[in-house]
Amino acid sequence: MSARVLVVGELRDGHLADPTLESVGSALALAGGPEGVVGFLAGASARSAASEYGRYGVADVRVAESGSFDSVPPAFLAPVVVATASETRSDTIVVGGTTFGRDLTGRVAARWNAAAANGVTEVRLTGEGFLVRRPVFGGRATETLRLEGPRRVLSLRPHSFSAPEEKPTEVRVTPAAAPEPAPGLLGPKRVAVAPIASGAGPGLTDAAIVVSGGRGLRAPENFHLVEELAQALGAAVGASRAVTDAGWRPPSFQVGQTGKTVSPQLYIAVGISGAIQHIVGMVSSRVIVAINSDATAPIFKVADYGLVGDLFEIVPALTAEVRRVRGL
Amino acid sequence: MEIVVCVKPVPEPETRLRAAADGRTYDTEAVKFVLAGYDESAVEQALLLKESIPGSKVHAVAFGPSPRTEEVLRASLALGCDQATWVEAPSELRPDPLATAHALARAIRPLPHDLVLCGKQAGDDESGLVAPALGELLGVPDFGFVVDLRWDAGSSRLTFRRETEAGEERWEAPLPVVVAMQQAWNDPRTAKLPAILKSRKVPIAKVAWTPLPAELGPTVPVRFELPPPRTGAKIVEYKTPGEAAEKLVRILREEAKVFP
Repeated sequence: MSARVLVVGELRDGHLADPTLESVGSALALAGGPEGVVGFLAGASARSAASEYGRYGVADVRVAESGSFDSVPPAFLAPVVVATASETRSDTIVVGGTTFGRDLTGRVAARWNAAAANGVTEVRLTGEGFLVRRPVFGGRATETLRLEGPRRVLSLRPHSFSAPEEKPTEVRVTPAAAPEPAPGLLGPKRVAVAPIASGAGPGLTDAAIVVSGGRGLRAPENFHLVEELAQALGAAVGASRAVTDAGWRPPSFQVGQTGKTVSPQLYIAVGISGAIQHIVGMVSSRVIVAINSDATAPIFKVADYGLVGDLFEIVPALTAEVRRVRGL
Repeated sequence: MEIVVCVKPVPEPETRLRAAADGRTYDTEAVKFVLAGYDESAVEQALLLKESIPGSKVHAVAFGPSPRTEEVLRASLALGCDQATWVEAPSELRPDPLATAHALARAIRPLPHDLVLCGKQAGDDESGLVAPALGELLGVPDFGFVVDLRWDAGSSRLTFRRETEAGEERWEAPLPVVVAMQQAWNDPRTAKLPAILKSRKVPIAKVAWTPLPAELGPTVPVRFELPPPRTGAKIVEYKTPGEAAEKLVRILREEAKVFP
């Protein structure tokens, strides 16, 4: 039993983004090999990046090569994706679960009359049907869904699937079928893009490591301790609600129920007591480390490893040790 | 501005989750339902826009079973929404985000809707599918992960920001549009008692629910699982901060294998 899969790629700095490589990995498994997988890319550099699909054995690549796809709403892309899926006789569309992918999934599903799921961590095509597993309730539980009907659209949670092994092949690049989007969809304009306030590090929601700071840091001028540790680790910086509410860092840093949900490989909570509001935003991280002076803080109940003590001593020592082992 | 805001009841965040008897979904027995967190942001945003644009109205719309769905519509009215429409779902109906989008679209189409506001996802199934699907079904653009939504009267456009992996995007959009809120920049208000009492007298319009044709590919819950309870942190013993750092890094590299 196998699927015919269209991978909707996403470009970052002109190359296939990591979540797209993970999508290719999942698509190859679902299709039972590269013959059943079609790559798709849209944007000004779509054609030049198309050959990157070939590295993983995907030969059939459809491109919508136009800079207009870089600055229009996701709604604009859905008709092209659906037309391409129909043209390539795909029954499954897979996209990385980034902001782009998560927005596209629902739109494409409604247009294609397909079942859909966002933030998928496991996919199985068995006698039981097309099954997907995904975290719910902020990672406090998981659900397994059967996506019925002839078509389905999935976005995959970042870091949950492996990039495929390299198996280079020649790529055939074909312009994508591109029906005109309805004129009503053309009004909105993206007027600017600025790097996020978190600075040079990776984005919070797709980082492999996140270091977050809380009220235990006592004052905004101490937040650099968290940032330096994050920098040494190549991690994104997060914060508890106490920190963003106090204005030490902008709301975009907030991890938690009313902020961002993160599920990195490693989450380090510095001076965070662990209110439920925060826990639901990070509990699905693979490994959690807590550094806090209060041994009874609830964060130690969800953490895998704990350091009880003065963060003002421990964090700089940890930063130095990380730098040392990484040769920085 | 005619604003529609979509609301959903979800278990309150502190709820101790349990699998239902059939193991397919969670047990709703004795669970207290509240307005979903991001929906609360959407309602707050709708009310802020209404207050800043004379002649605006906010219409709350919900799809779901009795009594909790009616209760979150009442709660939305108490917060300041002007009208409410409810598509009542049969209590035995399994949750299905695309079916929800179709039901909401049916309810919204006959209403004036310059702006349809949603939360970016609900705190239970976190599907994040309803708002984009609603945009497609209503034939208008949709935007997710939106913060800082404002109305520019001069250009008759909404302005807002989105945080994506690429950075912080600034957008301008004419109406109509569907917007899914990331979070409110103002703390959502709480309802005052007189408003709560008054909201009880507002009639809630009802729209009949009709099942979707089967070829639309339903989503069927198969299993709901809770992780084994976390047993608590392994506390790293140390004498000096340097030893603490060294031990932790060694554990992360050798035992947890999360360190490059």
